[in-house]
Amino acid sequence: MNLRVAAFVLAAVLAGGSIAAVAQKKVLKMAFRTAETGFDPQRIDDRYSVGVCENLFEGLLTYDYLARPVKLVPLTAEAIPVPEEGGTRYTFRIRPGILFGDDPVFKGAKRELTAMDVEYAIKRFRDPRNRSPYEWLFENKIVGLDELHERAKKDPKGAFDYEAKIPGITVRDRYTVSFKLKEPDFNFLYVLAMPNVVPVAREVIEAYASDTHAHPVGTGPYVLKEWVRRSKIVLEKNPNHRGYELDTRYANSQDEWDRRAMDSLRGKRLPLIDRVEIYPIEDEQPRFLAFLNKEHDILDELPFAFIHQVLPNGKLSAALAKQGVHNFQELQPELTYYPFNMNEKAEGRPNPVGGYGPERVALRRAMVLAYDVDAEIQILRKGQALPAQTPIAPGIVGYDGEFKTAAQAHDPPRAKALLDMFGYADRDGDGWRETPEGKPLMVPFKYDGGSQEKRQLAELWQKSMAEIGIRVESQAVMFADLLKDKKVSNFVTATSAWIADYPDAQNFLQLLYGPNTGQSNEASFKLPEYDKLYEKSVQLPDGPERNALYREMNRLILAYAPWRLGVHRIFNHLQYPWVKGYKKHPILYTNFKYLDIDVAAQQAAMK
Amino acid sequence: MAAYVIRRLWQMFPTILGVILLIFFLFNWVGGDPAQVLAGKISNPEQIANIRKQLGVDEPVLYQLWVFVKQVFTFDFGRSWSTNEEVSRILLTRVGPTLTIMVPVLVIETVLAVTFAIMVAYVRGTLTDRTIMIVCTVAMSISFLVYIIVFQWLFGFILGWFPVQGWSESFWKNLATYAPLPILLAVAVGLAPQLRLYRSFFLDEINQDYVRTARAKGVPEKTVMMKHVLRNALIPILTNIGISLPGVFVGSFLLEVFFSIPGLGREIITAVNRSDFPVIKAVTVYLAVLTMLINLLVDVMYKYVDPRVSFK
Repeated sequence: MNLRVAAFVLAAVLAGGSIAAVAQKKVLKMAFRTAETGFDPQRIDDRYSVGVCENLFEGLLTYDYLARPVKLVPLTAEAIPVPEEGGTRYTFRIRPGILFGDDPVFKGAKRELTAMDVEYAIKRFRDPRNRSPYEWLFENKIVGLDELHERAKKDPKGAFDYEAKIPGITVRDRYTVSFKLKEPDFNFLYVLAMPNVVPVAREVIEAYASDTHAHPVGTGPYVLKEWVRRSKIVLEKNPNHRGYELDTRYANSQDEWDRRAMDSLRGKRLPLIDRVEIYPIEDEQPRFLAFLNKEHDILDELPFAFIHQVLPNGKLSAALAKQGVHNFQELQPELTYYPFNMNEKAEGRPNPVGGYGPERVALRRAMVLAYDVDAEIQILRKGQALPAQTPIAPGIVGYDGEFKTAAQAHDPPRAKALLDMFGYADRDGDGWRETPEGKPLMVPFKYDGGSQEKRQLAELWQKSMAEIGIRVESQAVMFADLLKDKKVSNFVTATSAWIADYPDAQNFLQLLYGPNTGQSNEASFKLPEYDKLYEKSVQLPDGPERNALYREMNRLILAYAPWRLGVHRIFNHLQYPWVKGYKKHPILYTNFKYLDIDVAAQQAAMK
Repeated sequence: MAAYVIRRLWQMFPTILGVILLIFFLFNWVGGDPAQVLAGKISNPEQIANIRKQLGVDEPVLYQLWVFVKQVFTFDFGRSWSTNEEVSRILLTRVGPTLTIMVPVLVIETVLAVTFAIMVAYVRGTLTDRTIMIVCTVAMSISFLVYIIVFQWLFGFILGWFPVQGWSESFWKNLATYAPLPILLAVAVGLAPQLRLYRSFFLDEINQDYVRTARAKGVPEKTVMMKHVLRNALIPILTNIGISLPGVFVGSFLLEVFFSIPGLGREIITAVNRSDFPVIKAVTVYLAVLTMLINLLVDVMYKYVDPRVSFK
């Protein structure tokens, strides 16, 4: 009998202990607004999948969590290399002892990160079978890699020779890898800090070749514990991870977010959260209500539909403030814009807005002035955007916050005067202007018909142009068709947007570089003067000389008006007070490894 | 009966062929180029061509059609173009959550609609009948989306009776925790039109001569309604259930999107947005085959409900 009582007491104590352990587990729950595609870092480009990969994998470099403007720091590399041979060679030494997460492929052994894993991952971008959406990062970049790509294309089976040694990637020893570039590129380090450009273990990729998306094995602070595709993503701490400490060297003690992060995380071994649960929820209401209901701890990218409830008069609502909710406002490094097709012909007809002659430039500039960007910001975006003054987004190296221009203002009288001056007049009295030659003027405008936001923008564009007497025909097309039409110049004007891949102005200014026509230069803008400046700028490191070139390029863009600049959107990210250490990074999408949870406060709020 | 079933199955082939041709040509003409979506932000024509080659969309149209026909008859639709997941796996994993919601919806909705319809038909012309019909008409005039938004806000957030959204791996937890609100919602929305429809079926039968005869013979009213009227009204009710059955297997994409249910309806929307042709093909063919099989099943069931029906 005594034994039975003792056994019962022991069982109760053990059960109690395990319940306590479970209760203390730090769990963060949140939603993604779009479903992920998968977690093979070299085969994805959507920010949500990439955001998960940020936690599963580690690149050679990353960005400091708190530094603004953003600052590169080493991650698996020992240090940030100094560019050699005029910016064409970069040599990295990997920290010894970094381990991949456990996987059956490793047969119970611990697998260390080596330089060969880096070499393998970079080569994967150019393996045609992977059809990597970020292949362009390494196209015409590393010596010998293009040739390897060409050989794979000619191979009857399309096999990529991963064994082949190329002069552009030299593995000097177990931990040292050196890259030789075809041309100087001072932004190459930014490329290596992208969350896709991360080493992977070749044996893992080959073992799960049929579904690499489902078997991400990296050296990151988390492992993928559970994945119900497009429904639930669960990450748990990687037991093999070495841990981090918060680097406060670049923190701004005047910034309340930095201060709070430092107070919460100083001296602690990161990551602190045991488990992260992510639920892709496409619709806005359930995502918002799940946060209000405390089913989720953070709400990234508050839907615009709820701005007035959450931020009446621009301030956090009293109800949320009372609960201690914090709102992080982020001006994202992105730009919306409306490209004009600069070719003389478009859609098989003479293009009314194309060309570089004074009349065409005047027409484009008048349309730029006619567009009511203020209405877009106040009505469509509920005040959550800033008008773009340059094609470079805020927070990006080369962005000049002081630069203001009247060329992108909403000024219909000036637009009308410009049109009158260059002969775009309403000769037949039908209310619409004709070309200087007296022909009817009609400007087609293409947009993604599947997006409500784009439909509203198309209406606003049409209304703005009607105000100065320019007839616009809005054409709703499927997203895939819009992408194709813009690539092959089968449009006159259209909607477009760009989000920074890396924090340098070059990432934006290449969108108007002549040789990029047919790829990223949707406007087919080919101005030799601009191209020369661009080519000169890529040869230079960050500094006043390069910034002067960027300014000059910006002036040319404003003068020739190949785009109507749109806005830089502002996003609001909400967190409950038990989430500690929060700060949104402009380039990295997630920050789980820097967060902490006050479990007691979380549980008290749930009661 | 076997001969009838075999003949009906044989007649399905031309229909499937029609479905194949329709899906194939619709997708190829208006479906957009999937390579453009998969290529990423910056791509050159050569990369686009490589993707098109890998997807097989650069092959001659007739060859692509042949591949599609083979896929339909081998039930192997390959892998999703956007996620590389096996299409068969997508269907198998998504149909469970859809059925967890839609089967209870169909059962509860049918039971309630039949019960209320027979009761309302019995008191036809009274204030109760008129009030219920007005309520049904008003209920039918409101958009499904409005119901979802209001129910989710009221029962999920304000009253806190149900979670706002979510899904788990456990069937019982889903049925007890996450499914009740979407089920309640779907039943509330579906009940009004079903009730009106079934009421009209019952009224048709109540006015028949055989009912008058039964009453004249002194058969109790309960027996008249439950034995004679109900049984005869079951044929159009069964037809109506048969029509709605394929929808049970596809689900309501609005419910699935709003309540984060990983079902087939949500999957179809994602596939359409991503121009993921293998998934769209598989779901459409699966739905067409299912519709035909259910129609056959309903026709066979007529025999048991109505002895006058014979197979020819």
